[in-house]
Amino acid sequence: MAEETLLNDEFLRQLMNVGEVDILVGLPTYNNARTIEPVVRAIQAGILKCFPRERVVIVSADGGSQDGTRDLVTGVSIDDVWKASKVYALRTLPVVITQYGHSPEAGLALRTILSAADLLRARACVLISPDSSTIEVDWLQRLVRPIYNEGFDLVSPMYRRQKFAGVLMRDLLYPMTRAVYGVGIREPYASEFAISGRLATDFLNGEGWDDDTTRNGAAILLSVMAITGKYRVCQAFLGVKPPQDRSSADLVEAMRRTVGALFSSLDANFQFWSGVTACQPVKTFGPESEVTLEPITVDLGRMREMFVTGVGELEAVFKTVLDERTLSELQKLASLEIDAFRYPAELWAKTVFEFAASYHKSVISRDHILQALVPLYRGRALSFLLENQDASAEDVEKNVESLCGEFERLKPYLLEVWADRK
Amino acid sequence: MPLKREVGWYKNAIFYQIHVRTFLDGNGDGIGDFQGLAQKLDYVQELGVDAIWLMPFFPSPWRDDGYDISDYRSVHPKYGTLEDFKSFLAIAHDRGIRVVIELVANHTSDQHPWFQESRSSLDNPKRDWYVWSDRDTKYAGTRIIFIDTEMSNWAWDPISKAYYWHRFFSHQPDLNYDNPAVREEMWRVMKFWLDLGVDGFRLDAVPYLIEREGTSCENLPETHDVIRELRKKADEEFPGTMLLAEANQWPADLRPYFGNGDEFHMAFHFPLMPRMFMGLRLEDRKPITEILQQTPDIPPTCQWAIFLRNHDELTLEMVTDIERDYMYDIYASDKTMRLNLGIRRRLAPLLDNDRRRIELMNGLLMSLPGTPIIYYGDEIGMGDNIHLGDRNGVRTPMQWTGGGNGGFSTADPESLYSPPILNPVYGYQAVNVLSQKRFDHSLLSWMKHLIRERQSTPVFGSGTIEFLYPANHRVLAYVRQLGKETVLVVNNLSSAAQAVELDLKRYKGNILIEMFGRNIFPRIGDLPYLLTMGPYQFYWFRLRRI
Repeated sequence: MAEETLLNDEFLRQLMNVGEVDILVGLPTYNNARTIEPVVRAIQAGILKCFPRERVVIVSADGGSQDGTRDLVTGVSIDDVWKASKVYALRTLPVVITQYGHSPEAGLALRTILSAADLLRARACVLISPDSSTIEVDWLQRLVRPIYNEGFDLVSPMYRRQKFAGVLMRDLLYPMTRAVYGVGIREPYASEFAISGRLATDFLNGEGWDDDTTRNGAAILLSVMAITGKYRVCQAFLGVKPPQDRSSADLVEAMRRTVGALFSSLDANFQFWSGVTACQPVKTFGPESEVTLEPITVDLGRMREMFVTGVGELEAVFKTVLDERTLSELQKLASLEIDAFRYPAELWAKTVFEFAASYHKSVISRDHILQALVPLYRGRALSFLLENQDASAEDVEKNVESLCGEFERLKPYLLEVWADRK
Repeated sequence: MPLKREVGWYKNAIFYQIHVRTFLDGNGDGIGDFQGLAQKLDYVQELGVDAIWLMPFFPSPWRDDGYDISDYRSVHPKYGTLEDFKSFLAIAHDRGIRVVIELVANHTSDQHPWFQESRSSLDNPKRDWYVWSDRDTKYAGTRIIFIDTEMSNWAWDPISKAYYWHRFFSHQPDLNYDNPAVREEMWRVMKFWLDLGVDGFRLDAVPYLIEREGTSCENLPETHDVIRELRKKADEEFPGTMLLAEANQWPADLRPYFGNGDEFHMAFHFPLMPRMFMGLRLEDRKPITEILQQTPDIPPTCQWAIFLRNHDELTLEMVTDIERDYMYDIYASDKTMRLNLGIRRRLAPLLDNDRRRIELMNGLLMSLPGTPIIYYGDEIGMGDNIHLGDRNGVRTPMQWTGGGNGGFSTADPESLYSPPILNPVYGYQAVNVLSQKRFDHSLLSWMKHLIRERQSTPVFGSGTIEFLYPANHRVLAYVRQLGKETVLVVNNLSSAAQAVELDLKRYKGNILIEMFGRNIFPRIGDLPYLLTMGPYQFYWFRLRRI
């Protein structure tokens, strides 16, 4: 059940007018005026084209936009869409907007959307990023059909990415999730996905919404719940995911939101993951993966510099987090010039596992642990870029697979450091 | 005594559609007739309707249930005699019930003497009474209406060795309205019946009277000329005569049939009907409000004819492909229920015999703009027989009692024109007039109550309509207004209870009086007016400033 305090009266009134729905499309918006209109238009066109008979509502959970985003969401007329697409709308397509706060908070936005899905008894709940500049009309059906037709509970996206985009996902989140939980979801932290009404309700009713980790990392915890809760999980190929500009500060925040949530999930699910010994295949609708080779500009020297600085300045922290041998290896790496720089997969996997164990034991502040991981991740990302500089799409995939294999091979090591049996 | 032909009588009327053959067999031969129909006029009067629309009762080979006429000035011997008709008409008028008959003007039977003469030789005076051609490629842009049975709009006549034009079955050749003699003869046919006292005509298949190369041969300007000519004569010689157009077209295409108030008095609103069913099943007012928004204003003397079901299939010609697919899937999952572009089922089976839905749909019928037409038997919830061919499944004998043949006929069951409905749900033992008359809460009793309420005010027949658009799209709400009289109608299209807030600020200070129970509801204030509604519930409120 949704908590009364989460949903304000106006939002409840709007939901009351919508009534029961088949599909709820959630948009966690915040200052998305630049991109929101084509996104809403694509969603509406997707509904007209693929779900003309279903009762669908679009819910925008807004974090206090100041740029007119909310007006733009309501301003997109379904009439324009159906005239352009030549597909007639059988039903009214309501759009509901609520402001949950005065600053964006991904977890609260998700919780608001899931509360609406729960109250409206949606059979499927879809989340679409309001800045999805490459959204296609077919996204909606690719995400919803597996729930509708085959009874899946979580439809995780697959993207066509530039080979150096999404490195955090490729180098950490994917291999770690796959090794620990035994399910190879390529995007365990996604901004577009669909879940069944059952999973939405169960996740909403779960505990921990009041702690920062859950609030910040709700999306990844949702994936973990789907895996550990024996829900049916699949992937759907959506197409191009363009790289996004991120500042250094963004990376720390992203680390908290994703790696922090993933590490945190290990505490609660130890019974589950400690018994997982092999990776189960995940049904994928569409291509398994696609990598593009467009050139991308990265300041490799700056990345090395940040790694080296981090290793030097954070030595005291690393001494509490890392095994001596691991730290020693890292320090050796920090002395290498860029041409010779390589952060081996085995060392990276051990680094991550030792950080996870330290996070579990809270050897120091958990947030400090995550922040300390950032420069090491930069080193690993630099290595990834260097190794794959001239690699073909297939080679990149092979390297990712190889890294996953290393994480899986070293899973006993994780159990060892987890139990403090070094 | 004929009723006085009051101009505009149809605007606030309720029609009841009857097929003579199906209503009551007065002579025990297994087929309904005028003697039987006359016996049941008490029932029609009690029901509370104002007019009867009779389906064709003229001599006919009955290859299209009487819409293939072989003599326009007589009564089919199976239905009785012209004297029987006159007697029926007099009794109906005595009871204040007007009678509207069919004028199947577009075509005749191929057995009609006119066609027999026309085909007999190329120089016969009636040769040009029909549309002939030596090739079957003329008017190539014309659609075929009966797509399940006809391959072409042309049929080869082996006698005169030429093709004749037919928009419907090939045994129904189209008359040639470019020929003044045909137009004059059709007026003489109308005059014949008007002299007897009938109150109006339903003109069948109106859009197809004239053909022109390079067009769709529908709704042509020359067709309107024909109609204006007939209307003018009727107005001059028989003022108060009502002409009702059967033209299955989009509202904008229908509008010209009202002309400047100088063509038809009434026209069926075909696109509305399927959208009422659609809105109910979608639980969404959108299909209904949308089609009514697209409906143009008509001259003040004119009126729409609206209906839920009739003798034909539930036509899906005036819907989009996506709507048609939806309607088929929802209302005719069994393909035997489908015919041409439509669904051949009665009201109660279409609505799963759900009393609440039947009431809601009738409530809509009685409160939306137009003159409602009730199809015989729907007032008691009669079922259909989809195993009978063509549209015969919705033309089974009226169910009067639980006795033999449902009280329709004393003939042996085997000799009835059609088997009566016998199944346990809709059979005459379960659904019949006699049993429903005994209970105040039967569908029949409820329908009488509904009709009384509708008749209690002219606002439904003649008033304006303004839709309210509450945020709850499952609720269809509108205000009907005529002079100082205002009625608020609120319909819950959903199978679940709903709360709805109505913006009634402009009626602030009024109290609401629920029309069926006369109960008073709270006065309208500044805040949105909150109503809670049960599944499929509807309210009619009179607004009173007291």
